[in-house]
Amino acid sequence: MIQLSRLSRTDWFGPLLATILAIITIRAFSENFLSLFNIQILLLAIAVNALVAYSQMIIIAIGQMNLSVGAIGGLAAISFVGMIEVWGLPTPIAVILALTIGVGCGVINGVLIRITGISAFVITLATLSIYKGINMGITEAQPFYGVPDSVKAFGVALVLGPIPWLLVPTALVAVGLWFMLSRMPVGRFILAVGSNEHAAGLSGISVNATVIIAHALSGLLAGIAGVLVVARLQIGQPSIGDDWLILSFAAPVIGGAILAGGHVSVSATFLGVVIVAIITQALVLFNIDPFLVQVVLGGLILAAVGLNKLRARRPIGRGE
Amino acid sequence: MTMQDSMLPSGPNASRNTTHFFLSNEFGLILLIIIFAIIFGVTANGFLSEFNLFTLGRNSAVNIMIGLSMMTVIVTGGLNLAVGAMGVSVAMTCGWLIEGVGLPWPIAILGALAFGAALGFINGGMVVRTGLHSFIITLATMSIFFGSMIFLTRAESFRELPSVFSTFGRMKFGGYLSPLLLVTMIVALALAWLYRRTLTGREMLAAGASPAAAELSGIRVDRIIILCHMLSGVLAGIAALMLVARNGAAIPSMAGQLGQDWLLPAFLGPVLGGTLLQGGKVSVLGTVLGAFLVTMLSSGLMMLQVGAFWVQTFLGLMLLVAVLLDKARRSYLARRNLA
Repeated sequence: MIQLSRLSRTDWFGPLLATILAIITIRAFSENFLSLFNIQILLLAIAVNALVAYSQMIIIAIGQMNLSVGAIGGLAAISFVGMIEVWGLPTPIAVILALTIGVGCGVINGVLIRITGISAFVITLATLSIYKGINMGITEAQPFYGVPDSVKAFGVALVLGPIPWLLVPTALVAVGLWFMLSRMPVGRFILAVGSNEHAAGLSGISVNATVIIAHALSGLLAGIAGVLVVARLQIGQPSIGDDWLILSFAAPVIGGAILAGGHVSVSATFLGVVIVAIITQALVLFNIDPFLVQVVLGGLILAAVGLNKLRARRPIGRGE
Repeated sequence: MTMQDSMLPSGPNASRNTTHFFLSNEFGLILLIIIFAIIFGVTANGFLSEFNLFTLGRNSAVNIMIGLSMMTVIVTGGLNLAVGAMGVSVAMTCGWLIEGVGLPWPIAILGALAFGAALGFINGGMVVRTGLHSFIITLATMSIFFGSMIFLTRAESFRELPSVFSTFGRMKFGGYLSPLLLVTMIVALALAWLYRRTLTGREMLAAGASPAAAELSGIRVDRIIILCHMLSGVLAGIAALMLVARNGAAIPSMAGQLGQDWLLPAFLGPVLGGTLLQGGKVSVLGTVLGAFLVTMLSSGLMMLQVGAFWVQTFLGLMLLVAVLLDKARRSYLARRNLA
């Protein structure tokens, strides 16, 4: 019993239970759910969505929010294809430049927030509009079609069985983030600034640098997600990133992230992404209206924040 | 430097008041509106034509209303990301009440606005019950409201509305004044009266400035917050119904995916107008002027052929410049001991 109560206190236990339950239930009703093809589609969705979720998670960790995740991802995506098509740059250089743009956008967010002292919400709302506007200004709402064959091949290639290559960068990022947040000074600084900015500053952490690094990371992850979407869609759509906002908050919150900052979990956020992907998939398998996905996502966010609140309250009463 | 300034004897009251006005947001906005009106009037051909003034008035009527809808929640220190989703839901409800149920249009409009208030009640109720920030609650309900609306309507528009709507949208007073703008002005005046003269309005401001202090002085903060969210729902509904009048149809995509297209105008108006995001301070006139300035700028930039695709970038930059200026203004006021 004590074991179980300790397990239930960890972030990943609840989402893991929910994931397993969801898989068993859906498998019971649908034969096709665990077919290789279906698993491959699930993993493709997870590969991109996890990066989007991590991009937001790192900002939630410092107690802020980043509305411009989708806009940064979209800008990185179209500049990636645009540089190849219009300037004829080789793919690796285009990837590096696109990710640099992502980092740059993130740094701009962080610097503006720290210099002005204005809430991250307002700043990222403004930059959301700026980045998205630049995207539309460059593309004039027309997609770039010049995705090179190597990128297209990467988008459909499989490592082993149903596991797509697209999942590899995501897995590396997840491990890297986990290592950073739990083992590296900079990760601990990020969490410290998130839980109490003032105390962190007094104990010698440079709050400015930490916040800017977190935003740069967020921009980098959004950029990677944008490039991966290009590989998956095989086209440079200007609308990439438009629907990331809700998703980017849903997964970390399902994974027990506290919006006030200072507490996030890489593994539980990943499970949050998996849950969202499975439910979206189930709606498709059972021929339920795809429009209902939005309703389910919203409901999941509400349920998750409600549960987190309950969980946060419990230990105080026990006084263990 | 601060020491010196703070030791300066405070000037006579009269000069202080005028300085105050010249330093106010509203004055800055009026100045900007005049400057840009002159620039566009000179450089953009047809900017001052009757037709353009008419469309400008019609567009700003909607944008101001969206800004006011957000403002009523910002007063409490909260946010309402669901304005767009609520607005479209109200418009679609109105269309359904007319076409599906067959109600006469005045009753359908009232019913739809009541539905908007109900959606606001859901938002406010959940914010109060859970004690979570309205950001995450309205982010979730934005998804839920919009998803349900799209699911129920099958993403199809209501196009067989009575001609009253489109007639009202096309009507012109004196060649260029849209009645939609009059509706907005009446609502804005009513809101100004609410915040200045009525007990409920003062309680809303008090609840936003310091919920704990308000609670201690006998204000039912919970009820007030729910009321603010309901008001926001009704105003978002009015904005959407005005769009229906303009388009002549209730279209599910008129606020973009999830109603996100309304978010920027919703925040631009209040933030430019000097409404504090922390709550407790409100400027109805500022919101009206701010939203008007934004509409005028987008219209002017379009006419200058800057390219429709770049307008969004300019609006984002404007929001950035506005908050920076506001910051500078406030620190100036603080240094001069004026505020």
